[in-house]
Amino acid sequence: MANLEDSFLADLEDLSDNDDQNLDEAGGDEEHMEDDVNGDLADMEALNYDDLDSVSKLQKTQRYTDIMKKVEDALENGSNMSNQGIVLEDDPEYQLIVDCNTLSVDIENEIVIIHNFIRDKYRLKFPELESLVHHPIDYARVVKKIGNEVDLTLVDLEGLLPSAVIMVVSVTASTTSGKPLPPDVLQKTIEACDRALTLDASKKKVLDFVESRMGYIAPNLSAIVGSAVAAKLMGTAGGLTSLAKMPACNVQILGTKKKNLAGFSTATSQFRVGYIEQTEVFQTTPPALKMRACRLVAAKSTLAARVDSIRGDPSGNQGRAYREEIRKKIEKWQEPPPAKQPKPLPVPDSEPKKKRGGRRLRKMKERYAITDMRKLANRMQFGVPEESSLGDGLGEGYGMLGQAGNGKLRVSVGQSKLAAKVAKKFKDKQYSSGGATSGLTSSLAFTPVQGIDLIDPQADANRLGSGTQSTYFSETGTFSKIKRT
Amino acid sequence: MSYLLKTLTNKDDVDCIIRDTIDKLLVLRFGRSSDSVCLQLDDILAKSEQDVSKFATIALVDVDSEEIQVYVNYFDITLIPSTVFFFNAHHMKMDSGSADHTKWVGAFHRKQDFIDVVEEIFRGAMKGKLIVNCPLPPERIPKFQLLYKDV
Repeated sequence: MANLEDSFLADLEDLSDNDDQNLDEAGGDEEHMEDDVNGDLADMEALNYDDLDSVSKLQKTQRYTDIMKKVEDALENGSNMSNQGIVLEDDPEYQLIVDCNTLSVDIENEIVIIHNFIRDKYRLKFPELESLVHHPIDYARVVKKIGNEVDLTLVDLEGLLPSAVIMVVSVTASTTSGKPLPPDVLQKTIEACDRALTLDASKKKVLDFVESRMGYIAPNLSAIVGSAVAAKLMGTAGGLTSLAKMPACNVQILGTKKKNLAGFSTATSQFRVGYIEQTEVFQTTPPALKMRACRLVAAKSTLAARVDSIRGDPSGNQGRAYREEIRKKIEKWQEPPPAKQPKPLPVPDSEPKKKRGGRRLRKMKERYAITDMRKLANRMQFGVPEESSLGDGLGEGYGMLGQAGNGKLRVSVGQSKLAAKVAKKFKDKQYSSGGATSGLTSSLAFTPVQGIDLIDPQADANRLGSGTQSTYFSETGTFSKIKRT
Repeated sequence: MSYLLKTLTNKDDVDCIIRDTIDKLLVLRFGRSSDSVCLQLDDILAKSEQDVSKFATIALVDVDSEEIQVYVNYFDITLIPSTVFFFNAHHMKMDSGSADHTKWVGAFHRKQDFIDVVEEIFRGAMKGKLIVNCPLPPERIPKFQLLYKDV
C-alpha cells in the first residue's frame, strides 16, 4: 500500500495518456487492487505506468509457484505411470495437467500485458520497433539487446530475428525519432523484459511437461497429431474436455498466426491452418492437397479428442486406426485417374434429343414466330378480293391488312404473351396497397372482377389490328360492310 | 488383307453373315489384298470398326476366290474395291451422285466420311427406306466411269 502512495506522488508530474493501459489493467491479475482503484482514473494511470509489479502479478501468486514446483518435480522424476485403473479425474497427475493448461493460458495473457508495458516504455526510444517486431517475446529480447544504444551497427541481433527483419530494424533505427531513455526507465524496461522471458521459459517448461504426459492423458490424439501438437492444442483449448467440445473447424484454426509484417509477401501464407500445420502428416502431403489434408486431420483429431475425454480407449488403438485411415485417404487422392477407354459411337437416332423449355427459349422463339401482320396478311375476308402489292392480283397479297378502312397497312403492335405476363405482374404489384395506408384511401382494387372496367381507348384501333383475335366472332366488332339497298 | 477384320472366302460364310447380322448394318467389302486402293479402304475400315461396332459389322470378301464369283456376278462387281451394304438381309442402296447406287466403289477420303455414310444408311434403314442419299459432298466421292464396263 505504501508503494502505491509513493507512486501516486511520484507520478503527479508525469503526463501521458495511458488509456489503453487502463483497459488492460482492468482485466489483469489484480483482484485486490480493483477495489481501491475503482473509479479513480488518476490512480490507475499512476499505478501501471511506473511499477512493474503492479502490472504483472502472476509470478507472485501462490498458484503459480505451486504449479511450477510440481512441474519441475515431475520432470525430474521422469514418467511416473500410475496404474490406469483409476478414473481420470481422481488422478493427481491429471489434475496437474489441467492446472498446467489453465496456467499456460494465464501466462500468455500475462506476457501480452508485459509486452504492452515494455512497448509503452520503449516508445520514447524507438517507436517503430513495435510495428516491425510483432511477437512479444522477440520484442522483449530485441529491447534487451538494444538497451539504450543509439547506433544499431554496434548491436548484434543475429539469431534473435530473421535477417530481413534485422535489416529493416537497423535501417529504421538510423532514422528513428526516438531519444535515449533515462536510466531508471531503462532499468524498469529491462526488468520487464526479464520478467517476460522468464514467463516464457516457464511456459515452455509447462508445455514440455504436458507433452511428456500426453501419451498418458490423450493417447489417441497424440497417435494422430503427435504429442507436441497435441499438447499445444490442449493448452490453447484450455483442457481436454474443452478441446473435445469444439467443432472440428475450430480445432483446425487453433494456433493460427495472423500478423504478416508489411512488405512481406502473403503468397506463402496458408489460410486457416493452425497447429495442425506442424504435424508430420501435414508436412508430408503435397501442397495441392494440403487444405484437404488439414481438414481431414482436424476432423479425425477432434474425434480422437472426444474419445480421450471420456477415456474410451486408453491404449490409443483408435487413434492409430484414424491415423491409418488418414494415410490411406491421402494416398487415394494422389492416385492418377483411370485410363480413358475408347468408346464406340452411339447408335444414330437412338437417344431422343433433349428438348429444352422455359422462359429463355420462349423469348428466343418469339423472334422467329409469325407476327400479327403476317397472320393478317394470310387471311382473307369472304367475298372481298384482297389488295396486292403490285395491284390487280399481281405481287404479294395483303389479305386482311388495311381492311380496317383507313387505307394504312400498318398494324398496331399487340403485346407478346411474355410481355403480357410481365405487365400483369407489374399491375398487381402496383395496385396492391402497401403496409401503412391512410384512412382516406379506398380498398377497392381496380380489377375486372369487381366490375369496374376501365375502357381502353386503344381498343377500337386494336380490334382488327391484332391478328390473334378472331374478328368473326368478336363481341365488340360491328358489321364490316353494310350495303344500302 | 487386313488381319483385324473378318475375311470371308466361302459362299456359306457370306450367306451366314448376311443372315445372322440382325438389326445391324452389314458392310461387305469386295476386293483383293494386292490392290493399293483396296488396302487404303481396308485401313479405314479397320480403324472405324470399333467406333461403329454398336450399329454396324464389317467384313471383307476376297473377290478372287471361286465360290465368291457368284456374288461377283450377282452384284455386278467390276471395279475393285466395291462395298455393299446390307440391313437385315435387305440390300441397301445409296445415291451418291454416281451411276451405280447399289454399291460404293472406291475408298473413302477420311475415316469420318465412312462413319457418316454408315450412319446415314443406318438411319434410312431404321426408317424403312431402302435407298438413301449420300451425306458427303461430291468432291469427297471417288469418281468412276461405268463406260469402261460397257465397253
